[in-house]
Amino acid sequence: MGGVSVNGGEHWMALEGGADGSPPGGLYTSRFVGIGASLPERRLGTDELMASTTHRTGIDLERLTGVHERRIAGAGEDSYTLALGAARDALAYADCAAEDLDVLIVSSITHYVGGLRMQLDPPLSVSLKQALGARRALSFDISNACAGMMTGVFLLNDMIRAGQIRRGMVVSGEYISQLGRNAALEIRTIMDDQLASLTLGDAGAAAILERAPEGAAGIEVAGFTTLAEHSRLCLAFPAKIGRGVSMYSDARTLQEVGIADTVPMLREALDQAGLDFDQIDYFIPHQTSARAIKKGVQEFSERMGGAPKHVVVTVDEFGNTSSTTHFLALWKYLTEGRFAKSDRVLLLSIASGLEVGIVIFKVDQLVERYGHDH
Amino acid sequence: MGTIIEASATATAAEHRRSLSPGSLELADAAARSCLARAGRTAEELDLLINAGVFHDKILSEPAFASLIQEDIGANLTRPAGAGHGTFSFDVYNGACGLLTGIHLVDGMLASGTVKLGMVVASDMDPEPGISEGFSFPGVGGAVLLSPDDSRAGFTAFQFATFPEFAELFQSSVDWQDHAGQELAHHGRNILTVEIAESYTTRALQCAESTARELARGQALDLSQIDVIIATASVPGFADALATRLGIPTAAVATLPDDLHSAHTAAPALALQSTALAAGSTTLFISAGAGITVAAALYRA
Repeated sequence: MGGVSVNGGEHWMALEGGADGSPPGGLYTSRFVGIGASLPERRLGTDELMASTTHRTGIDLERLTGVHERRIAGAGEDSYTLALGAARDALAYADCAAEDLDVLIVSSITHYVGGLRMQLDPPLSVSLKQALGARRALSFDISNACAGMMTGVFLLNDMIRAGQIRRGMVVSGEYISQLGRNAALEIRTIMDDQLASLTLGDAGAAAILERAPEGAAGIEVAGFTTLAEHSRLCLAFPAKIGRGVSMYSDARTLQEVGIADTVPMLREALDQAGLDFDQIDYFIPHQTSARAIKKGVQEFSERMGGAPKHVVVTVDEFGNTSSTTHFLALWKYLTEGRFAKSDRVLLLSIASGLEVGIVIFKVDQLVERYGHDH
Repeated sequence: MGTIIEASATATAAEHRRSLSPGSLELADAAARSCLARAGRTAEELDLLINAGVFHDKILSEPAFASLIQEDIGANLTRPAGAGHGTFSFDVYNGACGLLTGIHLVDGMLASGTVKLGMVVASDMDPEPGISEGFSFPGVGGAVLLSPDDSRAGFTAFQFATFPEFAELFQSSVDWQDHAGQELAHHGRNILTVEIAESYTTRALQCAESTARELARGQALDLSQIDVIIATASVPGFADALATRLGIPTAAVATLPDDLHSAHTAAPALALQSTALAAGSTTLFISAGAGITVAAALYRA
C-alpha cells in the first residue's frame, strides 16, 4: 500500500504532485489565487501579558520566544467574525465570487461565536457559507490542530488536481488568545505545561485554490502524515478556571521530535518535487517561537545540505496564531510586495498529532493580484 | 473503478462495560479495530484515518481526535527507518453528516490515487454525564473501511445541501455557567449544552426529502428502485418516515436497535450492521443534522 515516489520507492507521506505528475489521478495543477487575512486591532504586548500573571514567574517570555506582541480579539470579534473577514479579503484578491466556490472548508481549532461560547453544532461552515453567499459550495469543518488550514489546502489541492472541483476555499478564524489569558492565571514557572499558551495570538486567514490554466505554475507538491506516537504531547479542552480553553503541552519534546521527524518528510517532499532545499526561496514554518524556528532551520539545513534563501518569521508581531500562521505570513509578504513572481515557497506544518504537512508552490501570478509585478 | 465498503463495525457503550465509564475514544478504538479485523486488514495498511465524531471525551479540541485513535490502534506511529508508508489523520466536523462527509473525502482521495485504503471513524459519548445538559445520544462508535475496486461501482454519487434557515433547531455549545449565588470566576464551569427543537425532526425530513429527490433527478434514478435505505438524523423514527415520504418500501429500511435509535455520528455504521448489501443492490445513504445539513450518497454493491 501507499504511493510510489518519483524515484520508484515507496513514500511515507500521503503525497500529491511531483516531477512526474504523480499520483496518476493528477490531471490538473492547482494554484493559490487569493490569500486573505483578518487581524484584530487590539494589541497585547508580551510585557503586559506577563505582568498580568497571578504568580510571580520570573519568565522573560519575549527573550525566550521572540514574541513581542500579539493581536487579541476585541468586542464583537470571535472565531466566526475573524474567519468571515479573512474569507471576504481572499475573495477580493482572487477576483471571484463566493458563488464560484465548489468547496468551503472551515479549519479553525477554536469555534467561538458570540464571545467565548464554543459552538459545536451547527458547524461554522454552515453560517459562513450563508454569509458569503457560497450557494453551490460543499461545506464542512475540519480540525487538525495547528495544521488545520494546511490540511484544507491538501484536500482542495487533491480535488482540483483530480478534476473533481475547480475552486475551493479553506478558512480559519482563531480566537485563541484566551488560552494565554487562562494560562496567565495559573502559570508559575518556565517549566509549566501551559507556557506555550502565552505565545498565542488571534487572526483569521483564508486561502482560495483553483485549477490553473494548462502549463501555468502552482502547487508542485503537497504532503501530509501523522506520527501518532506523539499524539498526546499537546492537549486542549475547556478550562476549569474560567471561560474558554486551557492547553497543556510538552512543548520541549514536541519541538525536538517535530524537528527530528520532519527531516525525512522534507527530504521526501523535495525529492518528489525534484528540488534541493536551497532551491526554496521562502521557507515558512509554523510560527511557534523565533528560537524554535532558528533551531529547526539550522537542523534542517545541516541534514539537507543546503538552506532556503529566506526564512519567514512573523511570530514576533503576531505570536502563534495556530492554524492561520502560514497564510497570515503569506498575506503579509504578498501585501508588502516582498515576493518575486519566480519565487518558490515551502510551507511547513508541524502540529500536535504529530502532524507534518508540506506544501511547495510557485508564487507566480499571486504577486500581481496584490498590486506588485516585479 | 469505485470506492467500496470493505467492512464496517460498531461498538456501543452497553457492550463496553470493562471501564467504569467507557468514553468516546474507547468506542472509536474498538469500532476501528473490529472493522479492520473483519476486513482481514492491519492498522499499518491504513493510509488515511478520518474521525467524524463530535462529542469527544473532555470535549477535546486539540489534537485531532483521529490522531489519538491512530495511536491507540497502532497505525504507523513512528517515523520510518526505511521503507514503509505512513497514515494521515484528521477530523471532520459536519454534525450527523460527518460520516458521509468523511466517506466522500476518502472516495475523492482513493479516486485521485493519493491513498489506497481509508477508514472513517465516528463516535460520540456524553463527556460529562450528569453535568451536560440535553445530551440525548447513546454512546456509539462506528467505523467504515473503504478501498478502490476495479470491478464494482461502489459509491456512485454524493449530494450535499445546507438549510441555514433551520440553524436554530439543532445547537450544541460549550459555555461558562456560574454556580448560583457565586461570583468568583472559579465558582462555575464550562458546560456542554445540546438543544434540539421539537420541530427539528419535521424540518430534517423535509430537507432530507428534497436532497434525496435532487440526487435522484441528477442520477436519473427512480427512488422506488432503492433496495436499502440508511437514513439517520440523531432522532427516533426518522428512517421509516423518510422512506415513506420517498416512496421507498419500509422493508428496505436498515433499522437501528431500539435503544440506539438516537445514535449520532456513528448511526450510518450502526444501520449497516442490520443489513447485508447484496451484490448488485442499490443503497441510499442519507443523513441529516445540525445546520440543517443533509448528506446523501448512492452505493451500488
